[in-house]
Amino acid sequence: MSETPEQPTVNQVARLARIHLDDQQLTSSGEKLEQILEFVSQLEQVELPKDVEPFFGAIESVNAIREDNLQTSVPREKILDNAPESDGEFYLVPPVFRNTDS
Amino acid sequence: MEDTVLNPTSSPQSSNRRAVRFDDAQIIIGLEVHVQLDTDSKLFCGCSTRFGEAANSQTCVVCTGMPGALPVINQRALELSIRAGLSLNCQIARSTKWDRKNYFYPDLPKGYQISQFDQPICGPGHLDIETSDATGQARRIRIERAHLEEDAGKSIHDESSRRQDSKIDLNRTGTPLLEIVTQPDIRTAAEAKAFLSELKLILNYIDVSDCNMQQGNLRCDANVNLHIPLGDEQIATPIVEIKNLNSFRAVERSITHEAQRQFEAWQEHGLTIADAPKQTRGWNDHTQTTTLQREKEDSADYRYFPDPDLIAVKIEESQIQEIESQLEQLPADLRKLLAEQYNLKSADASVIVSQGRGVVDYFLKVADGCEDSKIANNWIGQEVLRQLNESNQTIEQYPVSPQQFTDLLKLVIAGTLDQTRGKEVLNAMVADCISPEEAVQQLGIKPVDNNELVSLCEKLIDENQDVVEQIQSGNGKAIGMLIGKARKINPNANPGLVKAMLSKMISA
Amino acid sequence: MTLSALNADVIVDQLNAGEVTATDCVQHFLDRIQIHNAELNAFIRVSESALEQAEAIDQRRKSGESLGSLAGLPIAIKDGICVSGQPTTAGSKMLENFSPPYDATIVERLKSADAIIIGKTNMDEFAMGSSTENSFFGPTNNPWATNRVPGGSSGGSAACVAARLAPVAIGSDTGGSIRQPASFCGITGLKPTYGRVSRYGLIAFASSLDQIGPMTRTAKESALLMSVIAGFDPRDSTSSKEQVSDFLTGLETPLAGLRIGVCRDHLNEGLDVEVKTKINDAISVFKQLGANIEEIELPQTKSAIAAYYIIAPCEASSNLARYDGVRYTFRAQANDLEEMYRNTRGQGFGDEVKQRIMLGTYALSSGYYEAYYLKASKVRRMIKQDYDEAFKKVDLILGPTTPTPAFKLGQHTQDPLAMYLADIYTVSANLAGIPAISVPVEPSSTGLPIGLQLQGRAFEENTLLRAAHQFQNETLWHTASPSEPWRTQS
Ligand SMILES: [Mg+2]
Ligand SMILES: [Zn+2]
Repeated sequence: MSETPEQPTVNQVARLARIHLDDQQLTSSGEKLEQILEFVSQLEQVELPKDVEPFFGAIESVNAIREDNLQTSVPREKILDNAPESDGEFYLVPPVFRNTDS
Repeated sequence: MEDTVLNPTSSPQSSNRRAVRFDDAQIIIGLEVHVQLDTDSKLFCGCSTRFGEAANSQTCVVCTGMPGALPVINQRALELSIRAGLSLNCQIARSTKWDRKNYFYPDLPKGYQISQFDQPICGPGHLDIETSDATGQARRIRIERAHLEEDAGKSIHDESSRRQDSKIDLNRTGTPLLEIVTQPDIRTAAEAKAFLSELKLILNYIDVSDCNMQQGNLRCDANVNLHIPLGDEQIATPIVEIKNLNSFRAVERSITHEAQRQFEAWQEHGLTIADAPKQTRGWNDHTQTTTLQREKEDSADYRYFPDPDLIAVKIEESQIQEIESQLEQLPADLRKLLAEQYNLKSADASVIVSQGRGVVDYFLKVADGCEDSKIANNWIGQEVLRQLNESNQTIEQYPVSPQQFTDLLKLVIAGTLDQTRGKEVLNAMVADCISPEEAVQQLGIKPVDNNELVSLCEKLIDENQDVVEQIQSGNGKAIGMLIGKARKINPNANPGLVKAMLSKMISA
Repeated sequence: MTLSALNADVIVDQLNAGEVTATDCVQHFLDRIQIHNAELNAFIRVSESALEQAEAIDQRRKSGESLGSLAGLPIAIKDGICVSGQPTTAGSKMLENFSPPYDATIVERLKSADAIIIGKTNMDEFAMGSSTENSFFGPTNNPWATNRVPGGSSGGSAACVAARLAPVAIGSDTGGSIRQPASFCGITGLKPTYGRVSRYGLIAFASSLDQIGPMTRTAKESALLMSVIAGFDPRDSTSSKEQVSDFLTGLETPLAGLRIGVCRDHLNEGLDVEVKTKINDAISVFKQLGANIEEIELPQTKSAIAAYYIIAPCEASSNLARYDGVRYTFRAQANDLEEMYRNTRGQGFGDEVKQRIMLGTYALSSGYYEAYYLKASKVRRMIKQDYDEAFKKVDLILGPTTPTPAFKLGQHTQDPLAMYLADIYTVSANLAGIPAISVPVEPSSTGLPIGLQLQGRAFEENTLLRAAHQFQNETLWHTASPSEPWRTQS
């Protein structure tokens, strides 16, 4: 955990997160990432009892469950209203594949 | 797309490889089956799961992943999963939780799928399948796990032009799926098909899913590789996951194709499981081949972590017991029942059971009513199934009630109706939705008295001396011609009685 | 007295008594926003229909209809909370034109109490920040000294209440985002117990930490708002079915015998000298009020910031994956799908948001989950256990809300760690899920507000509000308000 990500790793993370960063942003992001990872590496020092269960949050409570009842859906025009591109029926997105391959 | 040759091996070994025959290789198959659970509403919201509605007409803020919206689990989906798990002999988890599987795709609105990673609702189990091989022994396929997850939406790509925008329909998004994962216990393409057929039948019987493959309610991926004996060694080829299997035929054919392809590839370059990572290939129904699918370098990094929007679900023993107590008999139990209690041949029992719970119930009522399970099987297994098939009806829509059918068969068993007359009566019953009595009347069927029969036979003998001579000179079969003529003159004449009487008169 | 000098409970009384109309009340605050918002930038948007709603309420009152408990009271809402049909941006370019087709549960509840949403307040983008400088709509200025930050991420809500541009406001708190700006702006801010207030409709930053709460002048006003917004919501699986009592009753119950814990570690290193002095003075006040002060230890809280800066970014990296250019507003120019994702997210998110997504993506990626998210979640368990132990001995835990008063605009923008340390005393309550409140103590010598934090047992907001209320009655520090025109330097 103390090893800090190299430049290519920052690149990979940016790709995994689908965030375009230019070279300069990659460098500065890498530096900040390094700085924060350095800081959080103090967690390594925390000694844990063997059987400690992780706490993922949320109050430990009863099952939150709903009955299988239908509810009215939101009218399509209201749902599509926020879409950057739609044809009134579908969301439209650029083609999944690049045009270059056969 | 070409397969990458990572590490082509040298020629001395390749000549050894050439000596191995395909038939010596063992195919190792594991299946991952996604089954849509038959709920009214989606897994985490109240939108309908109905198929075929107008695009994006069944969505809400939850299933479109609107900022701020939150999921709440559907009770019925849990129940159906438990029911399916029990039917597959799975251990049911006492506590199960939700995880996020993170990846980007336009039909995945939240950028993650809510699924179950390390605490699936159903643990290990098994399913026994009948095989058609020589031994006739049932094969046990172990189930590794079955977990609940939400379905993605639908992307529609324009095939004609790759430049065009894709269309996204989110109606299916959030539909509950049970993903059933088997151990790699399946050994042939036919076994894979048999497993899926039995799975489908079970899920139908217990009302968990209609498994309609055209509607995508049952989707299958197959993990396939080969174990090949080479000298003293056992070589394993790289594992391939075949995607896009939308029919049983596709499952069968793609596995057969893929096994052959892997064998040839191995003979070519000798790559083993240690040399190449798992590959994903898509089945192409048109070319009947599998092709390598484009893989993103990071596509496998799903960054699973517990979904903080949902809390764990505790399942009480009493809840499991209650669901278990409501479970109806499974297909395997019914096959056994029909074979052992109703003396059907196992193939006949399978035919009846494979038609679904409704046909089994129909059969049981008729067999019990007429007290002759063989006749009931003959008539239902042939006539009824044929008629249903031709009219594209379900047994529930069949116009003849089990009671009427029983009454019909009683007439046949009593000899009041012969087979042919019986079928005519049945046809009339189906066509006009009438009782056997009404059909008998409509067809003018009435018993022929003995005197009438005598004079009919005498008339036949008189008018067909040539045939009589044939019979007398040892051609017993010729009597059939006379029986045929008898029925033309009087359709009510019982062929058995006519035959007996003619024989007696001719030999006298 | 002008309306803006009155507390919300008094305004509600006057509205009920017919001494003032909802229309006049709303108009009064709209006028103040009109005058002051340009300088403070506390509001991203003012509600166009506020006056109309006020008129409708006046009409209904006139016709003798029975009205909700907050009838006619203007309220400001943080812009990370969905209001149906009104742009809700979370301070991001990504959602610049996003108009949710639904109300958050708390908005629904406020509306059915007949409160009037007067506008949406500025915030750090997706609530990621401690200064409200990370807003696509520009920074909010602190009304006590406009060259300083109001804190964050609910800086707009804090500033608008401090400057009396709205009587009360709603914020959200993931690591201190209600309490830290309340402290910087000299107001009262309550982060309720996790699960106490529905998160449905709150644009998620880190789901296991986020909680909505009131930001007001007085503890009593917070109690008034809590009575409306708290309670089980079947649409939020993490919402609690724990009984909700009336938060207003019991405020006056004397503090005699109340056990208040103080963690000496939190009053030493890194703490501004003046902050330390004022907190010690506050301890004396509580003693006078009859409380017993006891020393406690919270050994694992020193790891809280580190655990927080793993857990929050991990959850955020997943929560913010939905902003992909397909369904909501912003989409960047692109030739294919992958390019659309990368450009949209590269251009639509600000630097801090991108940085935290990067961190969370890294920490969850293959091979790192155990070292980061799992380890941090185990440390989180230890922190929670610290609190469980402490609350066996004491009823409340007292300390500073922040290590320093409000810092200057731009002071920490280049140094993420320095910014993160502004939350050092607040994140633990989010990690443990317990309630905590910040109330003003005596300001610094330069006139900057300083906040006192009280933390309590899960679902014991009543005790927090009661202690805060009586402290305020005793000290009256909360009645101080920044002078107009706003000071520009301090
Ligand atoms: Mg799956
Ligand atoms: Zn929905």
